[in-house]
Amino acid sequence: MSLTYKTYQREPDLGTPAAESTREVTVTVDGVEVTVPEGTSVMRAAATVGINIPKVCATDSLDAFGSCRLCLVEIEGAKGLPASCTTVVRDGMEVTTQNKRLADIRRNVMELYISDHPLDCLTCPTNGDCELQDMAGAVGLRDVRYGYAGSNHLDMQKDTSNPYFTFDPSKCIVCSRCVRACEEIQGTFALTIAGRGFESKVAASQDQPFLDSECVSCGACVQACPTATLTENSLIEMGGAEHYAVTTCGYCGVGCSFRAEMKGGEVVRMIPNKDGKANHGHSCVKGRFAFGYATHKDRITSPMIRESIHDPWQEVSWEDAFRFTADKFKQIQARYGRDSIGGITSSRCTNEETYLVQKLVRAAMGNNNVDTCARVCHSPTGYGLKATLGESAGTQAFDSVLEADVIIIIGANPTDAHPVFASQMKRRLREGARLIIVDPRAIDLVRSPHVKADYHLQLKPGTNVALINAMAHAVLAEKLEAKAFIEQRCEKDAYEDWRKFILEERNSPEALEAQTGVPAEQVRAAARLYASAPNGAIYYGLGVSEHSQGSTMVMGIANLAMATGNLGREGVGVNPLRGQNNVQGSCDMGSFPHELPGYRHISDASVRDLFEKEWGVRLVAEPGLRIPNMFDAAVAGEFKGLYVQGEDVAQSDPDTHHVTAALSALECMVVQDLFLNETAKFAHVFLPGSSFLEKNGTFTNAERRISPVRKVVEPMAGYEDWEVTQELAKAMGFPMNYSHPSEIMDEIARLTPTFKGVSYAKLDQLGSIQWPCNDAAVEGTPTMHITEFVRGKGLFRLTPYVATDERTTRKYPLLLTTGRILSQYNVGAQTRRTENLRWHDEDVVEIHPHDAEQRGINEGDWVGLKSRAGETVLRARITARLQPGVVYTTFHHPESGANVVTTDNSDWATNCPEYKVTAVQAAKVTQLSKWQQEFEEFTDEQLKLLREAQARGEEVVS
Amino acid sequence: MDVTKLARMANQIAENLDSGSNEARTVAGVADHMQRFWTPLMCKQLIERWREEPDCLSPIAAKAIAAVAERQPAASAG
Repeated sequence: MSLTYKTYQREPDLGTPAAESTREVTVTVDGVEVTVPEGTSVMRAAATVGINIPKVCATDSLDAFGSCRLCLVEIEGAKGLPASCTTVVRDGMEVTTQNKRLADIRRNVMELYISDHPLDCLTCPTNGDCELQDMAGAVGLRDVRYGYAGSNHLDMQKDTSNPYFTFDPSKCIVCSRCVRACEEIQGTFALTIAGRGFESKVAASQDQPFLDSECVSCGACVQACPTATLTENSLIEMGGAEHYAVTTCGYCGVGCSFRAEMKGGEVVRMIPNKDGKANHGHSCVKGRFAFGYATHKDRITSPMIRESIHDPWQEVSWEDAFRFTADKFKQIQARYGRDSIGGITSSRCTNEETYLVQKLVRAAMGNNNVDTCARVCHSPTGYGLKATLGESAGTQAFDSVLEADVIIIIGANPTDAHPVFASQMKRRLREGARLIIVDPRAIDLVRSPHVKADYHLQLKPGTNVALINAMAHAVLAEKLEAKAFIEQRCEKDAYEDWRKFILEERNSPEALEAQTGVPAEQVRAAARLYASAPNGAIYYGLGVSEHSQGSTMVMGIANLAMATGNLGREGVGVNPLRGQNNVQGSCDMGSFPHELPGYRHISDASVRDLFEKEWGVRLVAEPGLRIPNMFDAAVAGEFKGLYVQGEDVAQSDPDTHHVTAALSALECMVVQDLFLNETAKFAHVFLPGSSFLEKNGTFTNAERRISPVRKVVEPMAGYEDWEVTQELAKAMGFPMNYSHPSEIMDEIARLTPTFKGVSYAKLDQLGSIQWPCNDAAVEGTPTMHITEFVRGKGLFRLTPYVATDERTTRKYPLLLTTGRILSQYNVGAQTRRTENLRWHDEDVVEIHPHDAEQRGINEGDWVGLKSRAGETVLRARITARLQPGVVYTTFHHPESGANVVTTDNSDWATNCPEYKVTAVQAAKVTQLSKWQQEFEEFTDEQLKLLREAQARGEEVVS
Repeated sequence: MDVTKLARMANQIAENLDSGSNEARTVAGVADHMQRFWTPLMCKQLIERWREEPDCLSPIAAKAIAAVAERQPAASAG
């Protein structure tokens, strides 16, 4: 199966957004009859039959504005010349779009625009792809009677502060498309039209440089600009693309669809795909702009091996690397037993890649020691939703939020971690949906332009379950439960048990107020608001899962949704916001040690039989090691070999001292990655990875949407990642013979009931598919559990609140919680190798003014953060976003050592680490911690060993 | 493996599954959980530790590991 590129052309633009009405209206445009939904603009109705009315201020991604006056038309019986963008069709309307009168007016409008526009089209970056230029041609502009000598804006200076785009106000026609895009699409309201009349101009925040303004660099303004006023720097440097392919972003769990616009083998720009069902033509700073890491000089493109982590690396052929690895793994198994090796799949890799890694572990290694990084983020989601609703996945499509009346966000920060979905959510909030936020920290959505949370339940870290129980108590005590839904859809006995448990006084908001720190009346009011809403939707993130009671909290959320009948239709649901691009997919693909693809337990003989027949091996019936168990077993000398694809456990996993001790104890660690990441510094084999631009496959986003990933450039090291796993399996004596990832997906579909109808041909046809996709749902399933739950009846589970062991003491009086920021992604291996560093070049520790003052800490001071696990030093940012007693940091830079401080506490059910609660002390210090100093020394050593290997490689080549 | 940690995990499972209402059901739930999510070696190591040091487990976790030991004759034999 080979990819056929599409010739570059601007996406079709029908001028105004589609109308939603089911009622149809028929009109005549230039003698052509056209039937469209009621509410459609005249401009769009005309465009649907190929009649393109000239326009500049209109675009179908924004509401009609009616300012440019180019789109005037004549309407039989109507006075004057209405703008076709703001005029809605009526039955029987007769529209004339072209005649001499209209042509004269349009030409005059263009004359006025062009009299104040540089005539440098031949050297303009958007030459040939400029709507203003197109309109000059369309209206037949031949002369500008006003001349060019009058007052103009041609000397206005460019703003080049943003690393990704340039603002050239001399080319601006003040159409407001950028301002409206910032408002309507992104919802940031960073841009405005400053001044009046001739002085009108686009301004960022208080007329500041873009980089210093509130602009979040999503690029919506750049995409909306009809001229070269806002232009991607890559386009300025490289010129226009000549072909493109549709692919899927490799960053967060939103899974935005993009057009990778190409010139030869180089990406010119990434343009969010209007037809993308997760993003509808929108993007964020990471997806649109931060792809430069794929060609960064740090990419490693030769396989390397070494005997010890203190030995120099040796560049070798792929064949030698596979043979070396296979021999090592076999020797280890011969010496220490079958279960002494395993593998880790990655949520950054494709479905097909993770499927192959788990297959390699189960079939070639002969054990179930396979796990995925979802272990350390959303494993409680898998456990909790399976236990209550019957399926380990979110219940809705993202678009469902547009029907929500009350939204609860728990432990998530969508504007930073899921920005494109956050924009959609903000649109709904501006339409009037109510908002409840449960978070120890005041995230941006608590209060931002045109958004204000009705309730911010600012609980103490670690008390989620107490809070959700208190909310459920209030619902039941005030008789707000959905009796009919519960009776028809849920298990009766379990509900009665739960009801009795929740109504115990210990679960009342008043009884739990001391634990949560949230006033009981606020809890009751928020519960009332959610339970009384026609549609109440819950969105949650890692602030729910990464706790010692992560799984309990997920079940508590599901209980609350069932009790209020908020499941099984649009606008409601339980929606986990997945961190990385393929968290859902990596879990779906059987990456967990206890289950095969499709969340079927390894102990089920009938399921094992399916795989055994397909793979031609006997499978072990008992669960294998989870990631934290692997580390514990390695430290104990029981686990000796590990294959890690696309993960960086040395940076991302908690209790760094323990993790690095485990990695150091391994006799053979194989890392497959783009870069020599922190984990690779402990590796004996390095297998070069391929970026998302260099391979074919699929990602599955947080709404279960399977989307295609398409190879647009050749893999730098010669192999796509799935091919590397395949070759490694062969070297280990287990044949895999796929010629394309589509064949891997065909195998997944054969073996997994929820994927039965999925194929690359169908993905090409539909663009994307939300699983389950099978005979019962041929085109996929946007909303789950509509008539019944996947498990049949919904199961209420008891959720006793058990306080975490991680408590404040005199020695450690503060609670540290962790999170993410917009410009960086996870461990930062990708985004730190882009210009996104301009927004966040180091992790800082946020501390409340009260706590800072007590400790004599000022803004920017070095602060030592010390827990029972370790100590690190970060700069202070003093902010009242936090409550006193709580500090916060991010983990995007390895030298920050956030995970040196986090502990080995974990969720009781899944061992998902408790990143969100660590008891610490903070103190002003003058030097880096001991760990940081050792980290620097170790990094220097490892980079030296890498450089020496690369220098030797270059000598051999020359 | 660090059996102290395994004991801590077992106690944590027991504490979280214990709503105080039906002990037999809770014990069965804890035993099931360990069997469904732990490797046989982890179960075996905890059984051995519990036999050497019964107080390392809470009453419910102890009953659960006893149930696991009964279900696994090989592990029970040590």
